Amino acid sequence: MSQTKKELLVDPLVDNNPITLQVLGLCSALAVTSSLKVALVMTIAVTVVTAFSSMFISILRNQIPGSIRIIVQMVIIASLVILVDQVLKAYAFEISKTLSVFVGLIITNCIVMGRAEAFAMKNPPMASFIDGIGNGLGYGLILMLVGFIRELFGSGSLFGITILETVNNGGWYVPNGMLLLPPSAFFVIGLLIWAFRTWKPEQVEERDFKIQTAEAH
Amino acid sequence: MGLRSYLDSIEPNFHKGGKYEKYFPIYEMVESLMFTPKTVTTAAPHARSYVDMKRIMTYVVIATIPCILMAMYNTGLQTNGAIAALGDSAATGWRVGLLQALGFSLNPDSLIANMAHGFLYFLPIYLTTLIVGGIWEVLFATVRGHEVNEGFLVTSMLYVLIMPASTPLWQVALGISFGVVIGKEVFGGTGKNFLNPALTGRAFLYFAYPANMSGNTVWTPVDGFSGATALGVTAADGVQALASQGISWSNAFFGFIQGSMGETSTLACLIGLAFLLVTKIANWRLIVGCMGGMIGFSLLLNVIGSDTNPMFAMPWYWHLVVGGYAFGLAFMVTEPVSASHTNMGRYWYGALIGFMVVMIRVINPAFPEGMMLAILFANIFAPLIDYFVVRANIKRRAKRV
Amino acid sequence: MSEQAPKGFFARFKELPVDSTPKTIFVAVTLCLFCSMIVSVAAVSLRPVQEANKVRDKQVNILQVAGLYEDGVDVAEAFAAFEPRVLELASGDFSADFDATTFDDRAAADDPELSRELVEDPASIGRQANFVTVYLLNDDAGNLDKVILPLHGYGLWSTLYGFIAVEENGNDIYGLQFYSHAETPGLGAEVDNPRWKSLWNGKRLHDDTGTLAITVDKTAPAAGADFHIDALAGATLTSRGVDNLVKFWMGEEGYATFLAKLKEGAV
Repeated sequence: MSQTKKELLVDPLVDNNPITLQVLGLCSALAVTSSLKVALVMTIAVTVVTAFSSMFISILRNQIPGSIRIIVQMVIIASLVILVDQVLKAYAFEISKTLSVFVGLIITNCIVMGRAEAFAMKNPPMASFIDGIGNGLGYGLILMLVGFIRELFGSGSLFGITILETVNNGGWYVPNGMLLLPPSAFFVIGLLIWAFRTWKPEQVEERDFKIQTAEAH
Repeated sequence: MGLRSYLDSIEPNFHKGGKYEKYFPIYEMVESLMFTPKTVTTAAPHARSYVDMKRIMTYVVIATIPCILMAMYNTGLQTNGAIAALGDSAATGWRVGLLQALGFSLNPDSLIANMAHGFLYFLPIYLTTLIVGGIWEVLFATVRGHEVNEGFLVTSMLYVLIMPASTPLWQVALGISFGVVIGKEVFGGTGKNFLNPALTGRAFLYFAYPANMSGNTVWTPVDGFSGATALGVTAADGVQALASQGISWSNAFFGFIQGSMGETSTLACLIGLAFLLVTKIANWRLIVGCMGGMIGFSLLLNVIGSDTNPMFAMPWYWHLVVGGYAFGLAFMVTEPVSASHTNMGRYWYGALIGFMVVMIRVINPAFPEGMMLAILFANIFAPLIDYFVVRANIKRRAKRV
Repeated sequence: MSEQAPKGFFARFKELPVDSTPKTIFVAVTLCLFCSMIVSVAAVSLRPVQEANKVRDKQVNILQVAGLYEDGVDVAEAFAAFEPRVLELASGDFSADFDATTFDDRAAADDPELSRELVEDPASIGRQANFVTVYLLNDDAGNLDKVILPLHGYGLWSTLYGFIAVEENGNDIYGLQFYSHAETPGLGAEVDNPRWKSLWNGKRLHDDTGTLAITVDKTAPAAGADFHIDALAGATLTSRGVDNLVKFWMGEEGYATFLAKLKEGAV
């Protein structure tokens, strides 16, 4: 245990962000970021699942046989995801309709599995719980940033509240239709990673090779 | 030689330690535009050739001249024709005002009137592209300390030629920004881009503002005028319906039809292509592959046939003259950076494009035109094709050992 | 064995390494039992709320197409004004064989007893049920005010499911609303745009000769603006899909007989 609890919480936000540094959990980041409301619910769902699955796995970590540890992790995560899915269907029906299959797909989100395998298996429950929250929030931070850009410029609104009146509704703003399509999140996330690494150059990976120039030889 | 001595006299300011060290790329840009670059390769291998990058790029710009002239003429022709059909009430806007003030007519039969009107559509789009794209180029060059090169002139010219005349200028600016930054600079600039920047920018606009880019009214910038492109008509009613829209094969071949500014005239594209082939800028294998893929697959579809989709029956010589096929063939497929680099790979690369363009046009209901998407698709596969060609070579030669 | 030394068995089991086979099986079984219990408890206890949500969702859609939905309205109470009935399409009569509150339209379309394969299928729906649930809305005096008819058909990427509200004269459209589709966001998905949906209000289905004239197109048909809904900008194929499905469901294969009876006042 070299990290303090605060570090566990804050580190994954920028310095060790699951999306921009580890490049995990992209599938859902592409699918649920066309509106902020949905992105927010997804953030909460992933945070809850990561935090609790990490905690439970950490509690059980000394009892989990190595040969079936991935399956055990999956079972715990899957149960939590089903729980979240059922609760959303009962108490946030509209949003669960938009999220549709992506709540279920949290099971396959690499961030949850990644934290379980890389952190919770080796650390005490409380630290794992905080680590789960931190990673969920780090994921959510990027989701919200991407959602902000996509919803604002794609539909001219934020959280469903009109900011830029679109042409189809009689306003002046011509919405950028590409931002409503999932692939646009690739560009937005790519640009975010670029921005992050310009801001924090230590995140830049080592080059595999160097291109030789004609002059300096 | 006043210019030479002037440039020489200010040059020290831009060298390391000089006052304007940061702005060296801009100096370099101006200098190499005016004179032959002084830098020579010092590292092996050495290849001696009269063709350097500057000359390649200049030749491509020269090759687009027929298309540029046709772009202006046809844009003017379509616009004046629409105004004539709709009556004087449709003749609005600053362009019409300026033309009348200068004494030009709006007669669609007059060569001069059409050229002038088309020029007024072409110029603002071209200037916007040059200024906005140029700012990005210089910005990246300055920050990264590399040189601005002539490739941008080619990119901007090709980009303008594949714009519909009615594109709003802010969209033109957004598109070229995306093309230059995402299509080229993020990968390290000219020579390291695996996508064609002009097409990347165009594709961005296509997906971002489809209503402005692919609707029926976009091709001719006159309010209230509605005319579908040849591909749109064929998709709905078949090749036979083209005649009733006044589109004959020769019209399409010479380019007097609806379409993006520079890509309507197959003839102009072929002239440009011939120039590129003669000067050996374009590689003929790409052309053979692309024509072969297109003809082969469209003949196959002709044979298969379909009761519900009239596009199946479209013959290959129509595929050639409508939409962006000819323009793409001449200027985009042949672009050396994003195409395959091995000779065998070039056949496959071209064939993939030819196949994909027919595939998208005929079978995908959402996109009537497919040249842009087909080329971008093949761009992504070009390195893979090269990889397999090289592997096959190694295998074959290993057997001899 | 366990009788002789029950304590020894557990003690021995406890001493086994975590990776041993018995312990592995034990952990797996216990965990599975425990998790499945939690999941099933959650699923069972939340089911009533979820079912209520689904019913409410459908009711909201019906209220919306009838123009009765506002934020904060009591859905169940407002929906009480509607009377669901099962309609036999071919005869245009209501059928008493089914309970309209529980009749499942989509299941009926798959049931070979209750549906038929379409030969002419402009809406690309494959099979069409012979019976559908329609909703009648009466005004305060108890007279028929509107009928809400379900319809569906294929757009560009997906089947669009929706309702059309027709006035009691069987000819004037009150509104059209799709509640489920997966069309391109920003283009085809603009079928949800309130401005576009409002275009339907006041349009008419049949012209004076009784021919079905309603059209979704870029340009107005010869019949006139009363029968024309402007196509969605940039979404040719979704618009064509909507055009096809409305024509199909309003035509002979769909509600034509029922609408004719409505016109005569025979409902």
